[in-house]
Amino acid sequence: MKLKFRRWRQRLFRNRPEDTLPHRITHQRTYIVPSKRGCAFLFALLLMLVASVNYALSLGYALSFLLTGLFAATLLRTYQNLAGLHILQCDAEDTFAGQAATFNVQLTNKKTQTRHGIRISSKDASSALNRVEAESSTLAKLELPTHTRGIKKLGRLTIQSDWPLGLWTCWSYLHTPLDALVFPQPEDQAPPLPTRIEHTEGEHRQTATQGDVSGLREYIPGDTIGSIAWKSAARGLGLQVRSYEQETGQSQAVLSLQHTGKIQLEEQLSRLCAWVLQAESTHTDYSLNLSSEQFDRNHGHEQQQRVLRALALYGLPP
Amino acid sequence: MTSTGFMHRLIPDLGLSEQRPMDARTLHSLAVLLLLVQLPHLMHLPLWVSLTGGMLVSARLFLLRAPAQRALKILLSPIAVTALAALSAFLIKADYGYFVGRDPAVAFLFILVAAKFAEVRRASDATLLLCLAAFLLLTQYFYSQAIIATVVTVPAVVALAYTLSILRDPHNPSRNSEQLRLVGSLLLQGIPLAALLFVVFPRLPGPLWSLPEDAMATTGLSDSMSPGSIGQLSQSDAVAFRVEFDGAIPPRNQRYWRGPVLTEFDGRRWTTSPASHTTQPVYQGDANDLTHYTVTLQPHRQRWLFALESAASLPRSYDAAETTRNPDIALSRSPSRVLGKLMNDGQMIATDTVSQVLRYRQSSVPGSAIRVSRPPHDKTLFLPGRNQRTLQFARKIRASVDSDSEFTQRILQHFNRESFFYTLNPQLLGHTPVDEFLFNTRAGFCEHYASAFVVMMRAVGIPSRVVTGYQGGEMNNDYMIVRQSDAHAWAESFIDGVWKRFDPTAAVAPSRVEHGLASALPNDSAVPGLARSQANWLRSAQLRWDALNHRWQTLVVDFDNDSQDKLWDKLGLGTPALWQITAIVIAIASIWCAAILGIPVWSRSKLSHDERLWQRLIHLLETHDLSRGLSETPTEYLQRAAQRWPAQAIAFSNLGRNFDRLRFQASTADDTEQLRIAVKQSITSLSWTLKRRAIALRFKPRRSAVALTNGRHDYPTARDV
Repeated sequence: MKLKFRRWRQRLFRNRPEDTLPHRITHQRTYIVPSKRGCAFLFALLLMLVASVNYALSLGYALSFLLTGLFAATLLRTYQNLAGLHILQCDAEDTFAGQAATFNVQLTNKKTQTRHGIRISSKDASSALNRVEAESSTLAKLELPTHTRGIKKLGRLTIQSDWPLGLWTCWSYLHTPLDALVFPQPEDQAPPLPTRIEHTEGEHRQTATQGDVSGLREYIPGDTIGSIAWKSAARGLGLQVRSYEQETGQSQAVLSLQHTGKIQLEEQLSRLCAWVLQAESTHTDYSLNLSSEQFDRNHGHEQQQRVLRALALYGLPP
Repeated sequence: MTSTGFMHRLIPDLGLSEQRPMDARTLHSLAVLLLLVQLPHLMHLPLWVSLTGGMLVSARLFLLRAPAQRALKILLSPIAVTALAALSAFLIKADYGYFVGRDPAVAFLFILVAAKFAEVRRASDATLLLCLAAFLLLTQYFYSQAIIATVVTVPAVVALAYTLSILRDPHNPSRNSEQLRLVGSLLLQGIPLAALLFVVFPRLPGPLWSLPEDAMATTGLSDSMSPGSIGQLSQSDAVAFRVEFDGAIPPRNQRYWRGPVLTEFDGRRWTTSPASHTTQPVYQGDANDLTHYTVTLQPHRQRWLFALESAASLPRSYDAAETTRNPDIALSRSPSRVLGKLMNDGQMIATDTVSQVLRYRQSSVPGSAIRVSRPPHDKTLFLPGRNQRTLQFARKIRASVDSDSEFTQRILQHFNRESFFYTLNPQLLGHTPVDEFLFNTRAGFCEHYASAFVVMMRAVGIPSRVVTGYQGGEMNNDYMIVRQSDAHAWAESFIDGVWKRFDPTAAVAPSRVEHGLASALPNDSAVPGLARSQANWLRSAQLRWDALNHRWQTLVVDFDNDSQDKLWDKLGLGTPALWQITAIVIAIASIWCAAILGIPVWSRSKLSHDERLWQRLIHLLETHDLSRGLSETPTEYLQRAAQRWPAQAIAFSNLGRNFDRLRFQASTADDTEQLRIAVKQSITSLSWTLKRRAIALRFKPRRSAVALTNGRHDYPTARDV
């Protein structure tokens, strides 16, 4: 009995994230009811019909029925506007707490008619598309506000429209298991990265002065324009950056929750997050010791993603 | 939890708040709608009501242009507008004399709609306004259901739908022409359904309620006649009724359409006698002398029915036509209703006030005198003490002749031989109008002659009365139009046991009776255009227009239960049961739905041929769970496909090259055609291969079902890889 109820609830309201993409909005999954304005319009139609009956106005009947026909034609148009719309894919952009988590929903209209006035909304964000041109795709951006770190679920999407006359509301639910990671909010004005320089035997030290070029490496977005080796770029070798031997040996940061100087867990994570970003911007190796996970010293995009992910999920139930 | 919260959980909110303020585009379209709805009402509303309504709408528009106008702002504030509406309610009561009734209600609604528009602030107000406007549009049919009224409705309905589309999203940048085309197509799509409903919707008989004060301004003949009243009526071209004859049409001088019979006289005014009792029409003559016809009476809001003199039947509802032609149907149907009664003075009275177009069957014996079972009462002899000269004159003539009939001949000769004039514009008559007319002015219209004749008859003791009605009528194709300009008055005297008709006007101006009003009057008289008999293009155009209106009236406006029954008969369904009608409606409505939903399927793609091939490929890959990325180039996409299905890598790279050549390399038509064929073939073979693979995979043990879902079960995402 309870199982039956659950199945019905899922069929009607899509409470659980069980849909897969690509998804096509079919007639079985569209709902259509008169909008508030539609109800008012219907009531007016009823009054008009009663007046026509009372005074035996043939043209009154005709006018009432013409508007009824309009009402019915609008029903079909509203349904048509939504039915058959494809949601091909949907992806999430990770973000830091306090910023919006952006979900991109790709809508594809395979019909030969333009679709109008489609609105996609989740529980706390919505996006309106004025037109989805015929046989083309459009991207709807849903920006969900985030407050705490962790996983931000997209939740159930409602795709709806009341085009063309606003007399009917037609909608369909789509609940995919899509979510975005929300990293801890990086602390504002965090203290400098606690670095430790390891002297390696047999390597001579170099002072970090401009001009002492130790070599060239690949360009990474974020490098200053001044450090790009334009000469080699002109030779067609691609963008390369002069790397300076700043300090002999590698400076490295050993990060852990206990050494942040904060007591509250969220504040600790927030500071760690800020330090990770600092380390990445200066290409400093860092290692992180969380009670649940250890990360060896390294830097780069992959390390950053793994570390931030660990920070985001630290201490949260899986 | 509040109910609205619950509703929102079930029905998603559309985000557009009904509380949002009004914008200029909505206001403009609302104003156009209201002006279009107000337009047909200007014909019947008092001038001040029309002006107030129009001014309120324009004032609001003006305020939109000049929002700083302080005086206007105060005038259009909710309080001021409410006060104005209340004031107008009082004025309407004063103007119409009552408030709870149809006409004052329409006038009040007219002002109310304009007032609401004047202070409209929010989008939810606009919804209310729209509904009120739709209702106001309907109320115009209380006054006219002619073709013109229908034509006037069309732009208003378009404006209504257009306003709805604007109200949905006022900031929608779509152009007006696009919106109008959309609205037009919606209305056109609605018309078949509307027509279906119009034909099959059962017409409930009788009013559900009636307001006691629904007495309205009457038109046409009235229950009294004073010098000049019929002359005034004759200036109107309006149609009084139309007649369709079953057989031969009686000659013009026999076409006396009997209306109110005026018996009581106060020396100046003739009025109907209140104390008359009903009688049954008796006719024992030859059935071949009977003339059968159908009268379509325009509503005059009184109770007279008109019939050719003299009536041989009671007026019956229209389906009596079926009864006389086809007795079988008469048995299966309820007998036709009797719509009125015949009074003993020969006057036909309807059961109800004629406030709608009334169609009835009638039979008459033209030209026969009215026989009565008992002699007339004294009222037909009563004369007030005035007009002494006339009385003396009449008695003098009576003394010189032998019989009553000789006397009437002498009187008619007197009118004919002396210099009497027939004119629409007689001089005003004073206290003794008959004396003045007979001996001084000698110029008058039919009511003057009828009145003088009856007074002289009564003076010598012959019971007489004035009969008003219409004389003549003009054929238009297969039916006859009788207009207000055909209004006439004649006399009836009781001689030799029967009531005989005498038309003194015919003695003065015989052509009035033979050829109509215009021929009997000098050319410069103010005869209404359509009463003139000269043929000209305007006249023929107007007659054609009247024929069209008559068809409209019989086909559309008079469409009722009988018409429905007839339609079912024609379709061979007899009298269908309710379930049969429902089945028919559902069947036709489903066809209608299918047709509208089918339109987009039939419409052709606007993409180029090559682009459609590309879409086909994408569609094929999508069905196999490989959709194109948001910012993926075609080449990248095909590379990814090649990685997914390494066995088909060559096919994919070939496809990519061919598409590139189709897109970017302009070559000869033959080349392109060959390329296309190649692409088509490889897509088809690819589709078969992938299908086979998918089927093969299904029977293998499952390895990674999870990998196919797009969910984000594992980190990093597919995008990052």
